[in-house]
Amino acid sequence: MFSKLAGFTGLPAQIAKIAFMAIIDAILLTMFFAALNKHASSIEYVISGVAIAANFVYFAKFTLPFKFLLPGLVLLTVFVVVPVAYTIQMSVFNYQTGNEVSKSDALVQLLNNGLQPDASNTSYDMVLGHEGSLYAAVLTSQIDKSVLLATTQSTVLLKAGQYTLDPNGVAKSAPGFVPLTVTEAANADSLISNLKFPFTHGSFIAPQGLDVASLLTQTLSYDAKTGILTNSATGVKYVDNGNGNFANQANKSQLLEPGWKSFNGFSNYTHLLTDPAVRGPFIGVFIWTTAFAFFSVGIMFIVGLLLAIVLNRKIALRRFYRSVLILPYAIPSFMSILVWNGIFNRQYGAFNALFHTHIDFYNSVWLSRGIIILVNLWLGFPYFYLISSGALQSIPSELEEAAAIDGATPQQILRRIKLPLILQILSPLLIASFAFNFNNFNIVYLLTNGGPTDLGKTAGATDILITYTYKTAFGSNNQNLGLACAISVVIFFVVGTVSLWGLRRSKVLESM
Amino acid sequence: MNLRALPKHLFLWVLVIFTLFPIYIVIESSLNNTGSLATGTLVPHHVSLDNFKLLMHNTGSVPYFKWMTNSIILATANALVSVVVGAASAFAFSRMRFKGRKIGLQALLLVQVFPSFLALAAIYVMMEKVYTVFPQIGLGSLGGLLLIYLGGSMGVNAWLLKGYIDTIPLELDEAARIDGASTVQVYWIIFFPLAAPVLAVTALLSFIGTFNEFVLASLFLQDVNRRTVAVGLQQFVGAQFGQNWGPFAAGSLIASIPLVILFLSLQRFIIGGLTQGATKG
Repeated sequence: MFSKLAGFTGLPAQIAKIAFMAIIDAILLTMFFAALNKHASSIEYVISGVAIAANFVYFAKFTLPFKFLLPGLVLLTVFVVVPVAYTIQMSVFNYQTGNEVSKSDALVQLLNNGLQPDASNTSYDMVLGHEGSLYAAVLTSQIDKSVLLATTQSTVLLKAGQYTLDPNGVAKSAPGFVPLTVTEAANADSLISNLKFPFTHGSFIAPQGLDVASLLTQTLSYDAKTGILTNSATGVKYVDNGNGNFANQANKSQLLEPGWKSFNGFSNYTHLLTDPAVRGPFIGVFIWTTAFAFFSVGIMFIVGLLLAIVLNRKIALRRFYRSVLILPYAIPSFMSILVWNGIFNRQYGAFNALFHTHIDFYNSVWLSRGIIILVNLWLGFPYFYLISSGALQSIPSELEEAAAIDGATPQQILRRIKLPLILQILSPLLIASFAFNFNNFNIVYLLTNGGPTDLGKTAGATDILITYTYKTAFGSNNQNLGLACAISVVIFFVVGTVSLWGLRRSKVLESM
Repeated sequence: MNLRALPKHLFLWVLVIFTLFPIYIVIESSLNNTGSLATGTLVPHHVSLDNFKLLMHNTGSVPYFKWMTNSIILATANALVSVVVGAASAFAFSRMRFKGRKIGLQALLLVQVFPSFLALAAIYVMMEKVYTVFPQIGLGSLGGLLLIYLGGSMGVNAWLLKGYIDTIPLELDEAARIDGASTVQVYWIIFFPLAAPVLAVTALLSFIGTFNEFVLASLFLQDVNRRTVAVGLQQFVGAQFGQNWGPFAAGSLIASIPLVILFLSLQRFIIGGLTQGATKG
């Protein structure tokens, strides 16, 4: 039986394996050099980690199980474990709008912002070009008619005779200077904004357009040893405030923008519990999330179980009921949620049109919450029907017969024997369903978008933790990624604890 | 019909009406060219196929078929790759004994309760960085989104498939081994064909899951031509189109019909797959 394939374990298989690994290695190596080029060190680490693991596992002899596990392990590690670890790391950083870059990048931007026109607003007529391999400019001052030849390394004052003036009194040429060609000039936008010619100590001449430049002086100076940033114009000293910003040494509430991502320990977590602007919405959202998940699962389970009990016995039209009532599970849920969204719309909605009412569902806290649970019931009861009827059928009929012989009524059999058994059988699935609904982003986001939201509040009445995280991280005004990650970690913790507790109870862990 | 069953039928009919109500509304408004989701009556009037024609035109602002193609490509690729890769992992966990197996299984069990979008802020920042080096798989690309989906479905699929492989009798493997088969051959010749129905169901569930995914897709895909049908249709009824329900309903119908047919025809297997984990308890 295996002779045909047995041939494929010898030399041809070896060659195929080596060829396949060579392709994988070539791809990984190309990616590695691309990352190296862009100085993306974290990506380099990931790629080299994958490459080493792959070669080790597929060429060593004793790693058979890992030959099967590796592809899944790599995907799981790189795209689930790494983001989770990164979430935990981000959650202990001050990382929000205004604090998004590294400290050294922030310093570069601050020093750039510190470049101010000098006191007399000196400006020059300019011709851009090259001198040797350097960018250069011939600069004519319209005040004292002096002409400078500036390169990115030095600036020299030209003597009369070294340059020629055009009819407007602007110098166009200088020894060794080659002006930009027309095509170069047309593409000089980024050049203009990045070019700086050093002038005297602490000042630069920077292009302001294709033919104008002005003298800028650096008002901020950074002392790397003391870490103090000094404004030479005002004399104010700024120090690192330990939370991602330079702050006025005399008045710590005066911050310089931009700041940087900085380690701030557990501040994001303590904010959740102590900062009134964050705590209020967070506690409210937390309670509603738990209540929503709990009641959703409860109601869906009750309806699903009742349905399973009713349809378990012979009843007229059983097939019809079955095939209709499973439909919500088959329809893509994002569409059904959007359709329900439209049904409850005040102006165009089918509900108000049909009953000739003008109920503003989405502006009422409790109606919105009711709709969410109702729509979730629509989406979820078929699943609970399916698993309940599976559980019901798996109960051995001997149990029922024995109880009947002992004189139990059908009601007693259902309540005392079947229900406890079903609960026990289904508890892992009920817990999984709780975990799913705890993070049921789609229903909240697509149905009410978390609303109704009071003016100026960050969370609405139907926001659950995951939609609140989304709004905190990607909301329009202040994007606080650090805080969003802290909320994600709280969700991990809650869902993880509930799941572990459930798994312990159902003894799944021991049977492995 | 006997009278004692009447309350049961009443209960069932309430559920039937509840179930069919939104489905009926979608069908009605897809045929209704006034753009609203209700006409105030249950009988459709203003019947026309305008909404369907609008989608067929596939214009620049509503590239409906582009969206459908994107969704189908993403969902198919995710279903196929995650099942093939997940099955290999499941096979190792079920049939082999090695150091770290128990810890690995427990970790897998825990990982699969977290949806991957929980780490959405981190994923966003990470893929933004990837974009600077590999724009093809970074933020805004279907390739990058697929990788995130693959990672996310690995845990669930491996766990589901392991449960099934555990039920395939060990004697089969042993017989094959006596005949001289290697582990790799047992995997391809014995296990893979036997598990085919379950693989198909797992793939189908992955497909539906990806098709329905909204959070990551809306965060990832900004370009109108790269949207999935979920993100695209949501924009339709959002502010941008001023609650244009007719084309939305038509688009929803076209997109759901294949899925509903697929689901109903594979219903028996799907239910088997769902209850597998439960009844083994």
